[in-house]
Amino acid sequence: MDGSARISRRRLLAGTTAAVGGVAAGGLLSGCNAGSSGSSGGTSGGGGEGTVTLTVMYNNNELTKEHIADFEAKNAGIKINFLQTDPTRLNAMLAAGNPPDFVRGAAVGSANVNARGLATDLTPYLEKSQVLKKDDLLGVNDSFRWDGGKIGQGAYYGIVKDWSQDATLWYSSQLLDQVKVPHLSDTEPIGYDELLAIGKKLTVKQGGKTKVYGVGLEWAWNLYAPLATMILQQGEELYNDDLTEASFTTAAARRAFAWYVDFAQAGVGPTSLDPLPDGADLSTFMAKRMAVTQDGYWYGGNFVKETALQGSIRMAPAPVMGDRRVSPTYAGQGAWIPAKSKHKDEAWKLMEYFMAGPPAEERAKSGWGLPALKSLLPKLPQDLPYQKQAYQVAQNELKFTGALPDSPYVTIDAWNIALDKYLQRVIKKQSTVDAACQGITDDINKLLKQGKEQIG
Amino acid sequence: MARNSWSRYSNRSFYLFVSPWVLGFLLLTAAPLAYAFGVSLTNFDGSSPRWRWVGFRNYVELFGDKEAWAALLRTVAYTGIAVPLSVAGALGLAVLLNRRLKAVGLWRTLFFLPSVVPVVAMAIMWKLVLNKDAGILNAILNSVGVKSISWLVDPMAFYALIILTLWGLGGGMVIMLAALQGVPAELEEAAIVDGANRWRVFRHITVPMISPVIFFQVVTGVIATFQIVVQPLLLAETNSIAGVGQVPQSTHLYMVQVYQEFFTSSRFGYGSAMLWVFFLVILAFTLLVQRSSRLWVHYEVDTDSDR
Repeated sequence: MDGSARISRRRLLAGTTAAVGGVAAGGLLSGCNAGSSGSSGGTSGGGGEGTVTLTVMYNNNELTKEHIADFEAKNAGIKINFLQTDPTRLNAMLAAGNPPDFVRGAAVGSANVNARGLATDLTPYLEKSQVLKKDDLLGVNDSFRWDGGKIGQGAYYGIVKDWSQDATLWYSSQLLDQVKVPHLSDTEPIGYDELLAIGKKLTVKQGGKTKVYGVGLEWAWNLYAPLATMILQQGEELYNDDLTEASFTTAAARRAFAWYVDFAQAGVGPTSLDPLPDGADLSTFMAKRMAVTQDGYWYGGNFVKETALQGSIRMAPAPVMGDRRVSPTYAGQGAWIPAKSKHKDEAWKLMEYFMAGPPAEERAKSGWGLPALKSLLPKLPQDLPYQKQAYQVAQNELKFTGALPDSPYVTIDAWNIALDKYLQRVIKKQSTVDAACQGITDDINKLLKQGKEQIG
Repeated sequence: MARNSWSRYSNRSFYLFVSPWVLGFLLLTAAPLAYAFGVSLTNFDGSSPRWRWVGFRNYVELFGDKEAWAALLRTVAYTGIAVPLSVAGALGLAVLLNRRLKAVGLWRTLFFLPSVVPVVAMAIMWKLVLNKDAGILNAILNSVGVKSISWLVDPMAFYALIILTLWGLGGGMVIMLAALQGVPAELEEAAIVDGANRWRVFRHITVPMISPVIFFQVVTGVIATFQIVVQPLLLAETNSIAGVGQVPQSTHLYMVQVYQEFFTSSRFGYGSAMLWVFFLVILAFTLLVQRSSRLWVHYEVDTDSDR
């Protein structure tokens, strides 16, 4: 490839965002103006001479105004231009070659971003840092690693903020007592088949409406991770060795898929065909209209002020579908620094502050997820009885931590769309489990092929 | 030069006056179209520098893409239902409000109001109204013994989208109202004197007289309805599972499929090819409507083709 060809291509693609936005009849690319609104400012800018403006894309309930003010006060030469997380805008900013300097992102699924060369290798920063140290990082950070061929080893492309064993359960002991279902064990996992059976007992229907859901799976959030966990627990592989092909037709995959179909057809919990109005289990669970919900340790943060609920909620280990006990994280939210960031050193300072400084300690103490640093683990809250019980369950689950399969050539979003599409067909009896699993395999392999061709 | 000797203004004035539009067209329409065409010949993923030219491969793939074709057919069906209903509904409302009613201004304002409410607010309102467990529509149905309906999932989501579209027909109503008020009263009175009933007056006098406005409504309605993307996304029960993945099949219109290719599959090249093909499809439909107008649109002045 000669230089002139490269230049002409770049010049062509520099305007891509505006181009597609124009043809897409407005609306399509809300981030068409990303280059200007998300500008990294550069030295000086609005903050005075010698000031660097760091563009940060995060959630404002995680990186708060107070955190930003504290960081800016401690780092006199850095000002933060805060953007709320917006994947479409991020895409547009990346396309325009002017990305934010610090971006929210999950460790699980990061292989796609890392392999496409979009993220900065943070290993040199980690090796020099006095604040964030490699040997203090918990294993969950390994999902941000990529060595060009394998996930979990090689360079670090991000740092986890907090995480949870997301397949673990929370349940209302009061609702279980009402139908005389024994409380779930704090240490021994329930089997998925048994979970469905008790879910049926716990579900209360009245006049065509569901008064109480037996089990909530947060269907709208993620289908790939729980199904991949079920497959992992049965000792099967989802991908081939070089992550370029997937097989969803194995006995383990079909069993996991069939379980989801049974769950939906039994009407035990919300699905995409019978969704909750707000798309999440929390309000229904807190209203005592859902007996069990599959959410991780982080969920406990919701109940700190719910004194009326605290006496009847408990955490339980991740259910199993096979002989191997695995309790993975589905996401492991954290941050990465784009390769085209103009202020990587300053972004790393924010990384140190946010991942190991006061905000990290604050998070650990609040119980909104497990910290990603070993040194912060003892700070988890145990003041309230429900917090103590959840702490013990989570500590025990640490022994069964495992990483979910991830291919750089396909996104988890693409998996979720394919899974939901075929699940709906089988739930509505328009297709069979076998045909659906074959369809998912074909769809994903098509995307994997495209991804492989893209990334090389 | 002799032919132009009657001109009052110089050519320069003409070009000066049209230049803002020409510049806008070149920069904001023609250039993006050309860029998008360029991108459609690549496998660009929207963010990484790892892309290459693929020629017309995206177009070839599109012709065999069953989901894209299904989405296109769904879009045509949706347009075929929504546009006639919108135009007829707007005309019906305009006829109702073109009478001597008490507080007619208030009525007109009330009917017009939904069309100025932002689409996001409107979608949230309808999501609440149509909610299966807590929505007012199901509460009404329950009170007359009808079981709750899942309005926001298949297959009812399609009708929910039609309702949402029709809710904003107040804008069309105002245009129709203006057209109705331009119909000469003496023509209608003459027809009545000649023995025509109300329907015949409406059918043979009013409608032909306002047919250019109806034509305008149909053409702009077809173009806008084909391109709908925000409403199906907003009506989806959640904005998770990559947002677009949660859009029910029945409201998974062509632009939703395009959105999915861009922002879920990161296939900017393929998405651009889809948009270019769609551009041509819309152009074809628009020309079809335009051609049909010769049969049913009545102009009081000579059209270009009559001269």
